[in-house]
Amino acid sequence: MRTWRWVSVLAMLVLVLAACGQQAASPSESEGSEAPADSAEPAPSESEGTGEPVAGGTLVFAGARLAASLDPARTSDGESFRVLQQIYEPLIDLAPGSSSELVGVLAESWEGEPEDTTYVFNLREGVTFHDGTPLNAEAVKINFDRMQNFVEEIQGDAYYYGQFMDGFGPDNLITSVEATDELTVTINLREPAPTFLYQITLTPFSIVSPAILESTNADSVDGTFGTDVVQGGTGPFVLEDYVPEDNATLVRNEDYWDTPAYLDRLIIRPIADPAARLQALQGESVQGFDLVNPSDYETVTDEGFSLLERLSFNTLYLGITPTARETVAALTTDDDTENDRTDLEEIYGGEESPLQDLAVRQAVAMAIDKEALIGPFYGGRGAAADTFLPETSAWAEAVAAGVEPTTFDADGARDLLEGAGFTDENPATINFWFPTEVTRPYMPDPAGLHQAIKQMLEDAGFVVNSQSDIWDSPGYLFDGQNGYYDMHFLGWTGDYDDPENFYGVHFGYSQGEPAAQFGCAVDGLDDAINTATSETDEAARGEAWATAAGLIHENVCFVTIAHGDTALAFDDTVQDYEPNPTGSESFRTVWLSGE
Amino acid sequence: MGKFILRRLLLLIPILLGVTLLIFLFIRLLPGDPASAILGERATPEATERVRNALGLDRPLHEQYLEYLSGLARLDLGSSFLTNRDVVDDFLQRFPATVELTAAALLFALTLGIPLGMLTAKRRGSWMDSAGTVLSLVGISIPIFFLGLMLKWLFAIEVPILPDSGRISLIDYNIPRVTNLMTVDAALAGEWGGVVDALRHLILPGIALGTIPLAIIMRITRASVIDVLNEDYVRTANAKGLPSVIVDSRHVLRNALLPVVTVIGLQTGLLLGGAILTETIFGWGGVGKWIYDAVVNNDYQVIQSGVLLLALIFVLVNLAVDVSYAFLNPRIRYS
Repeated sequence: MRTWRWVSVLAMLVLVLAACGQQAASPSESEGSEAPADSAEPAPSESEGTGEPVAGGTLVFAGARLAASLDPARTSDGESFRVLQQIYEPLIDLAPGSSSELVGVLAESWEGEPEDTTYVFNLREGVTFHDGTPLNAEAVKINFDRMQNFVEEIQGDAYYYGQFMDGFGPDNLITSVEATDELTVTINLREPAPTFLYQITLTPFSIVSPAILESTNADSVDGTFGTDVVQGGTGPFVLEDYVPEDNATLVRNEDYWDTPAYLDRLIIRPIADPAARLQALQGESVQGFDLVNPSDYETVTDEGFSLLERLSFNTLYLGITPTARETVAALTTDDDTENDRTDLEEIYGGEESPLQDLAVRQAVAMAIDKEALIGPFYGGRGAAADTFLPETSAWAEAVAAGVEPTTFDADGARDLLEGAGFTDENPATINFWFPTEVTRPYMPDPAGLHQAIKQMLEDAGFVVNSQSDIWDSPGYLFDGQNGYYDMHFLGWTGDYDDPENFYGVHFGYSQGEPAAQFGCAVDGLDDAINTATSETDEAARGEAWATAAGLIHENVCFVTIAHGDTALAFDDTVQDYEPNPTGSESFRTVWLSGE
Repeated sequence: MGKFILRRLLLLIPILLGVTLLIFLFIRLLPGDPASAILGERATPEATERVRNALGLDRPLHEQYLEYLSGLARLDLGSSFLTNRDVVDDFLQRFPATVELTAAALLFALTLGIPLGMLTAKRRGSWMDSAGTVLSLVGISIPIFFLGLMLKWLFAIEVPILPDSGRISLIDYNIPRVTNLMTVDAALAGEWGGVVDALRHLILPGIALGTIPLAIIMRITRASVIDVLNEDYVRTANAKGLPSVIVDSRHVLRNALLPVVTVIGLQTGLLLGGAILTETIFGWGGVGKWIYDAVVNNDYQVIQSGVLLLALIFVLVNLAVDVSYAFLNPRIRYS
């Protein structure tokens, strides 16, 4: 009896706790009638179907992770940007929903064309940082100078500054930043950089309060700017609390220079697993989340949630490296035994790569039915990729003009293979790598995509050996990017809308050598890319990139597979969230209808 | 007793030194590199080299290890390669979450495990015993991720009576962090609704995490009680007409608890080491997921210092268990 008494007490306790929760209004019920516990603001009231935004309320939103660092200059991933761009602002930004239109943020206006080496930014008057200090030209200069002079230990974190500004130190792209007067900043460049304005729209180029930079000793390796909860931004939200792995709590900046945000509080929670994010929405512990699994699109809409599609700005490609086997062999015969790759040598077995033959590479491109992948793997929302540039890019059409799309034709691929001397008795054998323990917006299911494409290649007469490795280890990214794999999956999410950020980053020559990842040594490609990169006239730039892209696709240095749309899900209280293909999105205009 | 505790504490030094060396070497044997994890698709060879250099990973192993030890000697456990956050700060922020989860799981496992073990032992061979055996086998063999997802689906979505994830309803409560124990912080803030809400958030993850310890504790209690029930002193106690409640609590349970306490100690140590799956499924920001992410991302500093702290806690918990033997059984004397 005594035992059952214990069991009963425990069961009672559980039931009482469950019942207590039932008595409290569920989150969605409480929205319309009760202000959040800590808020002194009036409760969000129902918009009564007028569609007019109302202020108030707390929005809990789930992403996959929180910010890697709270120092915007030292971040390089979308999840970090999501949190930080609510707090910090750049001089100029992409217009909401656009990947190419620029709008002034901290700079009211600016002067400078792609062919110029001087850019003048006229700052907004009356903008203050969250710590109450004013935004002025000197503050902007301090921020740019800070990034240029990052100590070596920090440079590794500041990927975007290093990449876009051609490294660090006095010899990089920026020759000087001058505070011409209280509200005018002049940035002088070493040479014209046609994409400069787009590059500085990124979150790492946000302007931080100099007082905060100083008080947190931000430029020292031991500085605490990246970890402390500080009020150093100018954005519509102020960081109130930050618990890694748990939540980032932001509150409305009442002194914002533009219309303040509607939400009282914005809480961003990290939930790594897409299925768990969906359950959190279903269980009402969040009101919205990002990166819906494509296979859940139907569930989301069937259950009455809204699905906001973010048009793709990414591309999955099949990297083809005819030189992989030579590169690996050279590593192993080298005196430097530390870099020996006998593991890969054993896989290649000393055989010559059939991919050295252009006809074989063309057969690979022809054998893949890209359209057939969109339904099962992208929930029917992505698009087959004829070029590296997603359709949302303003340059897509110009670049496509130079690229002859490859039509799916399994028989044609087989004929090409036979023409190159590969038959059923003497097949073209290729090793095809895919990454494990990762999903990306362009690659929602690497193993599944691999299996599907492998089947297509085998149908065309190839013999395909499946190989895989862990994404985050040198085994995959390092080997793939160093050109050790015959064929591999990889992709790219654009940072800003310019072909240079897609083709240039991947195929640009370094010291006269083609990028190791593809070993794509094509006559005239180096010159074509250099011409396209430095061309400042928009029309001519489009044509130049079309020429460069044409050479890359003609020689099948890679096969672009798909552009994957991503999507957000919200419950019916969340209004006016505007997705952007680049993922650069603000919660300032978001409001809760209290329904 | 004092000497025993002191000796065990001194033994900590070689144990922890051994742990540091093993972990230091093991993580560097793992495939992977923090630089690739930091840079992702953007890991060009030059950028990788720059990051490796900045992190000191291009230096000889013994130099890296000695520098780590010298940091430890100054009680500096370093900071994360990925986030630059201080490892101790991060640990202290997450560990209370793990403590709460462990407490919930143990409460569930103990309050059910010991009575059920006792019951099945006393009704040996009955249908209740068979049902208990089946239940404990199911408890041990059911994968946590499956049980966790099922519990969530059932009690948070289909019959929504409990929260699906997180430590408190962030929409309703904004609790200032003091101890990082959500229940305590809510009480300190005078938010009694928040205390109840935080307790409700503990139920599903507590059950998911407590199921395996429950099954183990139940089995051990059953076996141990059966042994004790056959002892002469129990027969004597029954023969002299003592009420069965007194016999069970004073003679049977107390003597049967020794092996159970050992298991509880080990389980506590294991649970405090973090529960990756439960934490992931229930969005629980504890140490398990923290260490797991560090391993996936090759964040060496977090792995080596985090594991060191967990090893320290594991050893201390087991020391506490050893000490508790003396209280449970006064015949045990440490010298």
